[in-house]
Amino acid sequence: MKSLERKKAVWGFIFVLPAIVFFIIFNFYPMGYAFWISFHKKNLISLRPPKFVGFSNYIYLLQSSSFWNSVKATAIFALGTFVPIVIFSLIFAVLISTRKRFQKFLEMAYYSPAVLSSVVAATIWFLMFQPYGLANQFLNFLFNTNNIDYKWLSSEKMLVLATIIVYFWKYVGYYTIIFIAGIASIPKSVHEAAIIDGAGKWQDFLYITLPLLKPTTLLVSIMSMIQTLRTFSTQYFFVQSGAPIKPIEVITLNIYNTAIRDMRVGRASAMSIILLVIIMFFTYIQFKISRTEEISY
Amino acid sequence: MKKLILLFVILAFITTFAASTIELIFWTHEDPNRTPLEEKYIQEFEQMYPNVKITRVTYPSGKIAEVILTAFAAKKGPDIFNMEIQNEYPYILNGRVAPINLEAIGLKSYDELKELYIEGALEPVTYEGEIYGLPLELTNWAVFVNKKYFREVGLDPEKDYPKTWEEMMEVSEKLVIREGEILKRRGFDFRYPYYFTFFLPMVEQLGGALISEDGKTAIVNDEAWLKVLRFMKEWGPNGKNLGSPTYTNARKTFNKDNNTVTMCLSGLYQIDRIRAQNPEFYESGEWMVVPYPVFENAVKDVRCNYYGHYYMVNAESSKEKQYWAWKFINYMLSHPEDYLLNVGLIQPRKTLIESDTFKNYPYADVFIEDMKKSHSVPLLANGPQFEQLIREAVEAVMLTDTTPEEALKILKEKANELLKEEW
Repeated sequence: MKSLERKKAVWGFIFVLPAIVFFIIFNFYPMGYAFWISFHKKNLISLRPPKFVGFSNYIYLLQSSSFWNSVKATAIFALGTFVPIVIFSLIFAVLISTRKRFQKFLEMAYYSPAVLSSVVAATIWFLMFQPYGLANQFLNFLFNTNNIDYKWLSSEKMLVLATIIVYFWKYVGYYTIIFIAGIASIPKSVHEAAIIDGAGKWQDFLYITLPLLKPTTLLVSIMSMIQTLRTFSTQYFFVQSGAPIKPIEVITLNIYNTAIRDMRVGRASAMSIILLVIIMFFTYIQFKISRTEEISY
Repeated sequence: MKKLILLFVILAFITTFAASTIELIFWTHEDPNRTPLEEKYIQEFEQMYPNVKITRVTYPSGKIAEVILTAFAAKKGPDIFNMEIQNEYPYILNGRVAPINLEAIGLKSYDELKELYIEGALEPVTYEGEIYGLPLELTNWAVFVNKKYFREVGLDPEKDYPKTWEEMMEVSEKLVIREGEILKRRGFDFRYPYYFTFFLPMVEQLGGALISEDGKTAIVNDEAWLKVLRFMKEWGPNGKNLGSPTYTNARKTFNKDNNTVTMCLSGLYQIDRIRAQNPEFYESGEWMVVPYPVFENAVKDVRCNYYGHYYMVNAESSKEKQYWAWKFINYMLSHPEDYLLNVGLIQPRKTLIESDTFKNYPYADVFIEDMKKSHSVPLLANGPQFEQLIREAVEAVMLTDTTPEEALKILKEKANELLKEEW
């Protein structure tokens, strides 16, 4: 029996080996290299070997107003995006799950923006945020105003809002699908028992669906928070298209600019290690919470 | 056995043939008028030298600097490439490009090469006694005007075109069409984000400079910088709303003659692009080119900076590839009149500048007269970073609540930090 188990384990290892090798080459190696180079000074196009500088890249970053501006921009974007995403994806999931017709169609419709390339999405929205674009027309219609320019791209707050809208539009469907899966995993018998006990639809949602969806809600909120901390494409595209950088220079964009524009690979790597630590911190919380909130039926 | 021998012979033949073929990878920026011309030269060159195969790949002009940088960082750079000189300069300083192979271009000395070009044309690519590039173009910008829209608002384009930046703002206000707050037609707009090219001369006109003469201080003469930053703030959406970096590139929409822009900044090559994209507008005679404006109280008559695109060769390519790369570049560039007539590019060769073809080319005199009063974009080891800092300052004043004073303070701080940084 033991040898069979052993055989199974060996074959299991053989099957996952390619994935492990792939992960080591394309994830661990770059991470390890980034960690190593973060203690060095290195010009991207210089052929000179990297110069060891100890913690000076980290010290520089912690004293840099540009880095703290990026931390602020990232925090504003992450908070401004993940809260509406969690709330609305839950609402959309409940609305879709309770429909008897067109359920699959609605799932596809909500999910479709997620398959679009981020640059394409940003391009479409950038056009809509132009003064003559749909975003201004919509607000003029909503507020019953005439040809007012709401300055989507030329006011700090509106610019941040614009990037949040693009991200929300692109990913709300993705999280809606996760919630739909969560709702579907709740046994019908639990709802039926509640209805037999006299619960209404609202009470069923509030006291049965919502509590049983807690692990999914936590998963979605933490996943979306981690993803928003890694946001890049929209901000990059908007800045390339002329939008001011300061309000939307999230950490990833700062990493990119430091490495590619300024050619300072060591400093950019130090920034990416700090971002990794932030993301690992939230992942740790995710693990902690998901362990304590497991539900069994 | 016979089959085995045959297979061996075939393999040996293929290996020998493959070994003698030189494959050159050539990266350049998109230019619809230049592509057919250079593809033709590639074909001709490959016919002359069947052992050479050249692959030409184009990238958008706004992206090519990044693409080349990442390729060189991974030691996978192309054999031949070109960019604006301020982006190429760090490659020379870091030994990433090869000096010109004089034998490949059929010359005996650098002096002989310099003789072919107008004075100073090769200076930006000369470093420690070696020359690292051959110029595809030397370009400055002037103002393209749509005469029809001038007349529409009661202005005479020949007399009323803006000669100063103050007039540019005044005339633009007359030319704009707005629906409520929404700008439907711009009078003029700048060429964002090329701040080294169009913005620095505005500062210099007022006595400012990017770097002091002793090279120790960045951002010289606060008053000059402040005045230009205030001008840009007033120009932007939060001022008089005459233009913005976020609006569609004025140079692109100008050719369409679709009532969206009246004036734009561009090089001589714009003429060929108008002809290619909108022949009706080109033939109409409803456009003209006028000099780059100067501030009313300018202390220096400096016009739009010129920049060059130089063909360069990767220092990591094999010596053999370097030889053929220079030979091919020289072949392409030995047709300066074709580049002028088909693409509108000015190769700074004496034979071209002194030719009747050039002298009779529409508005060539405007560009040449402006060029005499201008100088090259600054060439610095970290030039792209300086340009980015200027961009951040200008766009902050135009598109956010940042005051010119605040923007200048940040710009000075960061630029001086950058200047002191050693690489």
